[in-house]
Amino acid sequence: MDSLVAVAIHDAKNALNALNVWLAEARRDCQAPALERAQEVAGNVSAQLVQLLTLYRAGEGSLRLAVEDRQLDDFLADVMAELAPPPTAIAIATDFAAAADIGVWAFDAYQVKFVLLDALRNALRHASSRVHFTLAAESGGGIRFSVADDGPGFPDTVLGGDTSAMAKTSSGLGLTFARLIAAHHATPSGRHGRIELANDGGARFALILP
Amino acid sequence: MDLREKSGLLIDDIPEMRSTIRIQLADAGLEKCDVARNIKEAIDKLAARRYDLILCDYNLGQGTDGQQFLELVRRKKLLPLTTAFLMITGESSYEQVSTAAEYAPDDYLLKPFTSETLRTRMGRILDKKEALKPLYRHLSQPGGRHQALAACDDLLAARTRYSLDILRIKGELLMAMKRTDEALALYEGVLELRATPWAEVGKARALAADGDDEAARHHLERALEAYPNYLAAYDSLAQLLEKTDRPAAQQVVERALKVAPSTQRQRHIGGLAFDNKDFGRAEEAFRRTVEKDRSGFFKEHGDYAGLAKSYAEQGKTREALAAVKNMSSHFQHTPELAARQAAVESQVHAKAGNAEAARIAMDKALAVMKEVELDPATSLEIAQACFVGGRSEAATDIIRGVAEDHHEDDSVFARAQAIFAEAGLNDEGSALLDETRRRLIKLNNDAVSLAKAGALDQAIVMLREAADRLRHNAQIAINAALALLMHIQENGMDVAKLALARHYLRQAEEADPNHAKLDEVEAFYRRLASPDSQ
Repeated sequence: MDSLVAVAIHDAKNALNALNVWLAEARRDCQAPALERAQEVAGNVSAQLVQLLTLYRAGEGSLRLAVEDRQLDDFLADVMAELAPPPTAIAIATDFAAAADIGVWAFDAYQVKFVLLDALRNALRHASSRVHFTLAAESGGGIRFSVADDGPGFPDTVLGGDTSAMAKTSSGLGLTFARLIAAHHATPSGRHGRIELANDGGARFALILP
Repeated sequence: MDLREKSGLLIDDIPEMRSTIRIQLADAGLEKCDVARNIKEAIDKLAARRYDLILCDYNLGQGTDGQQFLELVRRKKLLPLTTAFLMITGESSYEQVSTAAEYAPDDYLLKPFTSETLRTRMGRILDKKEALKPLYRHLSQPGGRHQALAACDDLLAARTRYSLDILRIKGELLMAMKRTDEALALYEGVLELRATPWAEVGKARALAADGDDEAARHHLERALEAYPNYLAAYDSLAQLLEKTDRPAAQQVVERALKVAPSTQRQRHIGGLAFDNKDFGRAEEAFRRTVEKDRSGFFKEHGDYAGLAKSYAEQGKTREALAAVKNMSSHFQHTPELAARQAAVESQVHAKAGNAEAARIAMDKALAVMKEVELDPATSLEIAQACFVGGRSEAATDIIRGVAEDHHEDDSVFARAQAIFAEAGLNDEGSALLDETRRRLIKLNNDAVSLAKAGALDQAIVMLREAADRLRHNAQIAINAALALLMHIQENGMDVAKLALARHYLRQAEEADPNHAKLDEVEAFYRRLASPDSQ
């Protein structure tokens, strides 16, 4: 049973959903750029509330993932659909060829989608011209989602894994969330998920699921 | 996927939601869509026609939810396997849907969603239903397991994107057919390539079916560490523990209840807590079971019986009698209900020291039993009342009869054993139940040996006598049919014997449509009955 904090977050999220519906309706009547921005903000806050709820539950020890089989190509199509239209003019190059080979993988699609959307939005924010989004089979078992941009890269403190430094950056909450969701993905044989951050001509984010 | 030719049923209790989603459905291309406002309307609609797709909101009002509805219509076979089921949930209930153990929806959709998302999701699940159609056809046919298995292999050979879904169904088929070694190999094969909760639980079930309870238990505990939300793992673990350690089983179900509250699990906790003499917990669990569901579709006689007995054990006689009386306003007035009420009432009075009132109620229950055939749960309730009322011999006779009629049903045997234990006759009960099971197995084996030795007439006489007496025993009815069919095979067509074989197969189907041997003998019957065979 969720506590009052969780209930309050739920309520706020439901209110945001309602706001989103109204904004969508307003946009049908009037194509103002301000409405578009407003809907984007509402969407981002809603995603942050989901992350907040997850972090809260993890703190309470009540975070349990809903791991189940997912067709990877369908899942990636859903992620891309949710991202569109891209908030900037930067193009996203994708390579999902591995999705058809691997077929199905078991993971919490709801939470992982938030991790990837957050990584993609971050990359779009910092990229100068391009973002790469790929899926690959991980050698030794597992799958690897990668998001790379050609921007200035992660600050050194973030690469060093300094969580307090991470918390001060705009992407801090997102990375903490990503680390948490990755770590909660586990197999009965004891393998866990993880994230990898690197700078290589820009920021490279990878989510590896067991 | 062209949705224009597809038919849908939308189930939602909130009028605004119904109209919003209908507009979205029409936008997505699904124009032929009926609506239902509650479970009753939905069941009526499902009984009247076949739909391609059901869209059901998780919250259905009256203390009921879409998951309960899905379980109900699947169990009652109101929902064809070819019909897709899409659950619509809010963020707060998606976990409960996504972790549903045995009866999972084909997909679920989180609110809010766009028409485009709706169209994509509907298209995907309808594509899958279409691809697996040959398999579903055999699965829904009585006696179709062998053909379903062959269809699995054909579909697997075709290397579709649904291979893992097909392997999952194949594993369940092999388990149902008691081909556990093959099932185990299948699950291990899947797990070599990827970790996935269903194959972990499948492997544990196969290990348990092979008699390796210890390995199965260990495997399930490890699976739960990795997948703490996977309800099927809790259910399987509780089932294993129930045989040896009921307090531990109760704890496992309590953990599952924290993941996803459900009527089924409240009821399970109630039963376990009662047997563990944790009467306060039993009362609470049964009370929640009967109070939560205001639609009345998910309650059972046993919920009220459990509640009344939990009250009685705590000296709350007035509440206990009220619970018994309450049954009349929640269920159809059948002989089963009258007998159950009388049997429970008798136990409540006996516990309260009202011997005369207890005797009157017990006589009433026994009188109903003389007139009509009762289900095992009601019969065992009457047996329990007899024990409490001091009529041990009558109680033992009733239990022996039920055990003979259901000698393969572990849950009936577990209930019977619990009743003996409560009467202070644990060892005697265990001996009687073991002896009954052995006797029935021997009867079947003897008859089969006779048949194999060529004494078919003698085998037929023996099995028919038993099958006519024990009409809920699927194994005996199947063997009776088998002996008759073997006679036809050896001696040529005999229309009377063929009709009798058909009669016993029907009887077996009624008793246990999922019996592992049923398919094989049904197939044998069809071979002999087809015009080509003559």
